[in-house]
Amino acid sequence: MEKKSLKQYPLLVFFALFILGLFVADMFATGREFSEMENRYLKQRPKFSIKALVENEYTLDYEKFINDQFVARDAWITLKSVSETALGKIENNGVAYGRDDYQFQKAPTADEETLGNNLGYLQEFLETYQGHVTVGIIPNSYQVLENKTPVSFPGVDQEPYIRQIYEGVKGRVDTLDLLSVMTQHRDEYIYYRTDHHWTTLGAFYAYQAYAQSRGLAAAGPEQIEPYAHNVEGFLGTYYSKSKKFDTRSDTITWYDFPVGEVTIDGKTTILNSQKQEIPVEGMYEVAKWQERDKYAAFLYGNNGLTVIPSQCNLNHQEGRTSRVLVIKDSYGNSFAPFLTWSYDEVYVVDLRSLTEKMSELTARVQFDDVLVLYNYQSFESDRNIARLTY
Amino acid sequence: MVFSSLLFLFRFLPVMMLVYYLTPRRFKNLVLLIGSLIFYSWGEIKYFPIMAASIAVDYIASNGIMAAGQRQGRRRAWLMLSVFFNLGMLFFFKYTDFFIQNLNALLGLSIPYLKLTLPLGISFYTFQTMSYTIDVYRGKVTAEKNLVDFSAFVVLFPQLIAGPIVRYTDISRELKERRMDLAQIQQGVECFILGLGRKVLIANSVGALWTEVEAMSYPAISTPLAWLAALAFSLQIYFDFSGYSLMAIGLGKMLGFNFPQNFDDPYISKSMTEFWRRWHMTLGSWFREYLYIPLGGNRCSKARNMWNIFVVWAATGFWHGASWNFVLWGLYFFVFLVLEKNFLLPRLNAHPVLSRVYMIPLLLISWVLFAITDFARLGEYFSAMFLWQGGADWMYYLRNYGVVLLLGIILSTPLLSRLGARLEARHPGRPGLAKGLFLAAVLVISVAYLVDATYNPFLYFRF
Repeated sequence: MEKKSLKQYPLLVFFALFILGLFVADMFATGREFSEMENRYLKQRPKFSIKALVENEYTLDYEKFINDQFVARDAWITLKSVSETALGKIENNGVAYGRDDYQFQKAPTADEETLGNNLGYLQEFLETYQGHVTVGIIPNSYQVLENKTPVSFPGVDQEPYIRQIYEGVKGRVDTLDLLSVMTQHRDEYIYYRTDHHWTTLGAFYAYQAYAQSRGLAAAGPEQIEPYAHNVEGFLGTYYSKSKKFDTRSDTITWYDFPVGEVTIDGKTTILNSQKQEIPVEGMYEVAKWQERDKYAAFLYGNNGLTVIPSQCNLNHQEGRTSRVLVIKDSYGNSFAPFLTWSYDEVYVVDLRSLTEKMSELTARVQFDDVLVLYNYQSFESDRNIARLTY
Repeated sequence: MVFSSLLFLFRFLPVMMLVYYLTPRRFKNLVLLIGSLIFYSWGEIKYFPIMAASIAVDYIASNGIMAAGQRQGRRRAWLMLSVFFNLGMLFFFKYTDFFIQNLNALLGLSIPYLKLTLPLGISFYTFQTMSYTIDVYRGKVTAEKNLVDFSAFVVLFPQLIAGPIVRYTDISRELKERRMDLAQIQQGVECFILGLGRKVLIANSVGALWTEVEAMSYPAISTPLAWLAALAFSLQIYFDFSGYSLMAIGLGKMLGFNFPQNFDDPYISKSMTEFWRRWHMTLGSWFREYLYIPLGGNRCSKARNMWNIFVVWAATGFWHGASWNFVLWGLYFFVFLVLEKNFLLPRLNAHPVLSRVYMIPLLLISWVLFAITDFARLGEYFSAMFLWQGGADWMYYLRNYGVVLLLGIILSTPLLSRLGARLEARHPGRPGLAKGLFLAAVLVISVAYLVDATYNPFLYFRF
């Protein structure tokens, strides 16, 4: 009797089964630590305490936990992505979809205040540092690949801001017109489709322009070619946000140039992301090529001070050790290896994790050249640039 | 807790409903009460005592009125206690900082702000309980003696935080004796899914456009983008609000209650007068019954009537948020309602096309007035709307949001339901199947959007 009557209400039956089914399935779903798709750690079940409850922390955390650990989370995300595409949407989570499978992070406004502050820190650094300095600001992919962005894409024009930075340091330093360099090669694979970084090829063109500006011999494509390795299936930060269902992955190229013993923060070992101590062998954390966060393989990620002794410097002079210091964000990680073709020792500094003071480093080591190499957006927003003046 | 969350859908709802259906009839209200209190306290447990105090005061006051019998003074005193308590709470939590801010600005003082978080749904439940004591005072209902039943009425979770404003008279019978059958539960499920889809698929989608433009520098946006964003917010607030109401009505039906309708395709109105009969209907009727008519309504001099209308619309505006732009928003409607009352209305009703040409821009403007609380920013936005600002920025947004905006516009009209009715007449039974499949799809896709919720705001924190 009851069965018959339930049959007349298929939607009710579906609703009840759907809610109850997922409720039960979700209760038994095991807690995932890390989402490969989103490249982030997922919220775990919060610990209950009266204090956390009264301060509304427990309930908030619990809700995040339910969302992050929801059964078949990745499949739901893909379903949303498919629906959005069906609705004609060309963005998700702030990442827009352009031509040729390129993704771009929207950047409707510039943070002029932080930009002004950072420029001030750079000027202060230049006043105290006496050696030769080059400043290079790397434009973002949307700025260069205008032909690939959606129509009237909301990204601020970085050209006037880069010009403002260069004007601010004019006379005291050389500036590297990377916007022109990148634009010249805009039809090549110089930016990742799914990540905010430039590709190793993009970094290579910037390296050539830099070496030329310093009057140094630089490696050409034919010289680096024998050392090349390709890693397929790279899904970068843009993908982590958009999670677009039909994203085309990127290929990372890396070059196994001959180097001496690389040290990171003065040591030949480093803690990997599993907190295990591993030896530093060359310029790349090779295990990372197999993981999700592949770009982190370059220079073992963003470490304070990395020193690379070159074994292929084309400008080598007997009895003399030439040194370059690169002060950089993560864009510099795929750039620095090329410098081994033009200097005897490459010092790479990331201000975000530098343990010693800049002034101590420049007093301790004599550099022939200093290159300040930042992506425009990092330079506009990174508050660690203040450490230049420490 | 809000309905449009995984926590509600896959934790609270199944547990609540299972326990509720399995509980014997005489304990169902107790289950409702406990469940509703958990629902309410989740996320803001500090305000549980306020809710408890509110229940206690109105329970005592209403029974005090009954006990006072014919003694007018006492009856009035109990009524005043309830009204002052409810309005006092509302004013204290919602408007204190607003008054401090204005006092400071006016007299050059620097009284520190209280910075209180607004208790969830306080604007809704204070109005609801106040109307109850007034109804008891007027003799329209007898006071509820059963504390559990009364408390369950006040905290009844479906309508607690974002309406509809359910009056005691609407559900007093159902509180004691309600029928639950599968047909009604399925109706409830239909309403709930429709509401969820409205909120998650339409409101959140177009709302992202408004939120993005709202944060921009208005002198830098183009005129087409300003209008596009105004349209987006108009659709967001409608689909969000009507979505919540529909979810509430649906949940009510699943529990055996029939809540009043709150929205009736307001955007097809031919006049402001009609709009307010179709928009947030339970609030409009609340103000009519408990403010406009007690003030004298229209059974008085023309000047007095005008004053009454003015007060009602200033109050309606102010109810929506403690900021001057909401008052201005209310008075904006006052102006058009008076114009319509005096000469415009018959003309508007006679011209189905011209009346929409009049209504749609006015509604978009009203929502801009509603959405931007800062007057300097508001001025800039109107300037972007009415003094031509060029630019191609709108093209990206139209490309990205065009389909959803169009969908929102179509669903703002009764087009689909009329189509369904016509099909049903021609092929009985078949549209029902299509509707069932459609709703099932809406439910599944809504869950997908909740899992990857990049933008899922709760708009009524200010109410």
